[in-house]
Amino acid sequence: MEKNYGLAGNILRVNLTNGTIEKEPSNPSVFKKFIGGRGLGAWMLYHEVPAKTDPLGPDNKLIFMAGPTEGTITPGANKITVTFKSPLTNTYATSLCGGHLGPELKFAGYDGVVIEGKASEPCYLWIDDDKVRIMPAKHLWGKNTHETEDAIRKELGDINVKVAVIGKGGENLVKYACIQTDYHREFGRQGSGAVMGSKLLKAIAIRGTKSIPIAEPEKLAQLTLETYQILANHPKANARKKMGTNELVDGINSLGFMANKNFTEGTSLSAANITGAAMVRDVVFGDVSCYGCNIVCGKNTQVLSSKYGKVRIEGPEFETLTLLGTNTGVYDWEHILRATQIFDEYGVDTMSGGSAVALAMECYEKGIITDEDTDGIKLHFGNGEALCQVAELIGQRKGIGAILADGSLAAATKWGVPELAMQVKGSDFAAYDPRGAKGMGLTYATSPKGAHHMIAPTFGVEIAQNNRFSEEGKAALVRETQFFMAIVDSMALCSSMRFALDLGKQLQFISAVTGWDLNEQEAMVIGERILNVERMFNVREGFSRKDDTLPKRFLEEPLKEGSSQGQVVNLEKMLNEYYELMGWNQEGIPTAERLGKLGICY
Amino acid sequence: MKTLVVDEKKCCGCRICEQWCSWTHEGCVNPTMTRIKVIKLHEQYLNLPLTCTQCVNAPCINSCTFGALTKDQNTGAVLVIEDLCVGCRKCVKACPNGVVSIHKEKRKALICDLCQGAPKCVELCPMGAIQYQDVSLEGRVQQAEAALQITCAKERCE
Repeated sequence: MEKNYGLAGNILRVNLTNGTIEKEPSNPSVFKKFIGGRGLGAWMLYHEVPAKTDPLGPDNKLIFMAGPTEGTITPGANKITVTFKSPLTNTYATSLCGGHLGPELKFAGYDGVVIEGKASEPCYLWIDDDKVRIMPAKHLWGKNTHETEDAIRKELGDINVKVAVIGKGGENLVKYACIQTDYHREFGRQGSGAVMGSKLLKAIAIRGTKSIPIAEPEKLAQLTLETYQILANHPKANARKKMGTNELVDGINSLGFMANKNFTEGTSLSAANITGAAMVRDVVFGDVSCYGCNIVCGKNTQVLSSKYGKVRIEGPEFETLTLLGTNTGVYDWEHILRATQIFDEYGVDTMSGGSAVALAMECYEKGIITDEDTDGIKLHFGNGEALCQVAELIGQRKGIGAILADGSLAAATKWGVPELAMQVKGSDFAAYDPRGAKGMGLTYATSPKGAHHMIAPTFGVEIAQNNRFSEEGKAALVRETQFFMAIVDSMALCSSMRFALDLGKQLQFISAVTGWDLNEQEAMVIGERILNVERMFNVREGFSRKDDTLPKRFLEEPLKEGSSQGQVVNLEKMLNEYYELMGWNQEGIPTAERLGKLGICY
Repeated sequence: MKTLVVDEKKCCGCRICEQWCSWTHEGCVNPTMTRIKVIKLHEQYLNLPLTCTQCVNAPCINSCTFGALTKDQNTGAVLVIEDLCVGCRKCVKACPNGVVSIHKEKRKALICDLCQGAPKCVELCPMGAIQYQDVSLEGRVQQAEAALQITCAKERCE
């Protein structure tokens, strides 16, 4: 039989309701249609989770997928995706996690794991190469994320076991709870942790001892060594190595489109305290990398706080720093690090968490909620202590935290001001205010999982081309970037590898590892196929053009100050053009003709 | 004589050293076929690369009753004579650094051979955390740290 180069060979299917564990052979022809990771996850979710499934019910699934280049020397091929129906947005959702989990899964002999059903009591999954068991976890329920990881490694007697866990946030079904690994690496967004909590699955532990067959080892080694060289000499990669993703703070803030105070401001002088350079100067004590990556963007940080003692974490990276920091008007390391630590320990997404607190702060300042709603917490913008208090309450689902745990849109709707929630389809924005890069407006509006920047991060190109305020040509840019990112995510490559690897280079890696011969045009069709499958999942749930919109703030309120002053997003024009380019009707629904061309039956 | 010297504070835990150690010697990436092993100590926020230190009176060699382990006269590396190795694992237990393991298919000892004097892990470490240098220079990192601590303590006294 011909070897399936690049593939570990099996997909593991675990049903927690009846305790069955099955191994299905990975089908290379399906992989070729979707590459792996995000693409394959989308295809499986579309077929296996029907419309109107309760996201927190036993019929929802968690589909973990690695990519074909993962578990090889391919630089930065360490991401693993989890695909599920989101309890936060009720849409399709996928979330990526770096670290060492994905490669370990492949070393154990699996390209993916599908979790189905619901356990009768808390359990965890122990994948030890071919031996897979469902283990009791009553003694772990109620523990925070770090404690759970440590306890499982101790219990299994191997410090090298990779463990993905939920904390109390996931147990308490916080709708944006995350799944965490290696203490500070997360499947961050759209609430995979809540889905895992609803299944009473506390953790997945993995140990692998196998290797992945490579089609052309010499070619792969040569490509890898070349890529190391390019990255070692690349200014952007070097900035990341030094300052992590916070190298972005200076630029985005001075260009006036960084989330400040629930997006009421696009820039702040106080951001000077928390730039990448300031972070290195004030709090960094070590560097951290995911598996097989020489960019090394992770930073260990610490503060000695009179209130909280020694606060030690990995991070915060740019989105956490901004959504949790600048967006709540908090510009000091002590409170940003502590709030990040709280969310990490509870296993809650720092971005949606920060956005929810920022919403509550705006409502408090406007008198929409009062001390009565907050149990006396003075929720003014800039009150770092209040941020930390509310972060804890969200994880516990207590007091105002119980309301915010359902997401910013649910909270704002309850308070009668849905327009103040900075979200699309219930998912909160990343730090890039779309008024300062119009393409990002279309990205957020059309993202299949609600507002998310990495579906099509166009702002870099928009800045470079000096046309960030224009809507002209952005539909085409967003569309192409969406396809490209779908390929990156399906390869399980870190998005930072884009600095060194354009599409052509990525395809060379795929070819060296798998032996597949894909040209750029064929790859872009795969990207388009993935976007359409994701879209069809949402169409089936009743989503359409009416949901592809932005909060009024971005459409009608011009930014008051800074380098993006006076800007609003003219969305409709971009949306019309985008639908047309996608071959979708003006309601945003893919036409049968286009789906047929992409080989999608529905 | 040169040896591998590790500065664990510089290690970022990327495990590129493990990947290439396995790749160079075994032609594949396998986490159990690497002769260098990075241990992540989560609670300490530390990644610790464990390497062979090329001990002079090597406990692994002394433990071997089959004469399967010898020293490379040029590099000082411990060499495994696979024909003589029976896979008894005494060397695994004897190693003070925990860096001897067993090849899962061959069932023979895996010990760092210093890549015949050009260690791949040193060449490809993005952090410069592993150096291949004369053994007499071992301790320079610790000297610098100690010196810093002494001066800090002195400043506090004044």
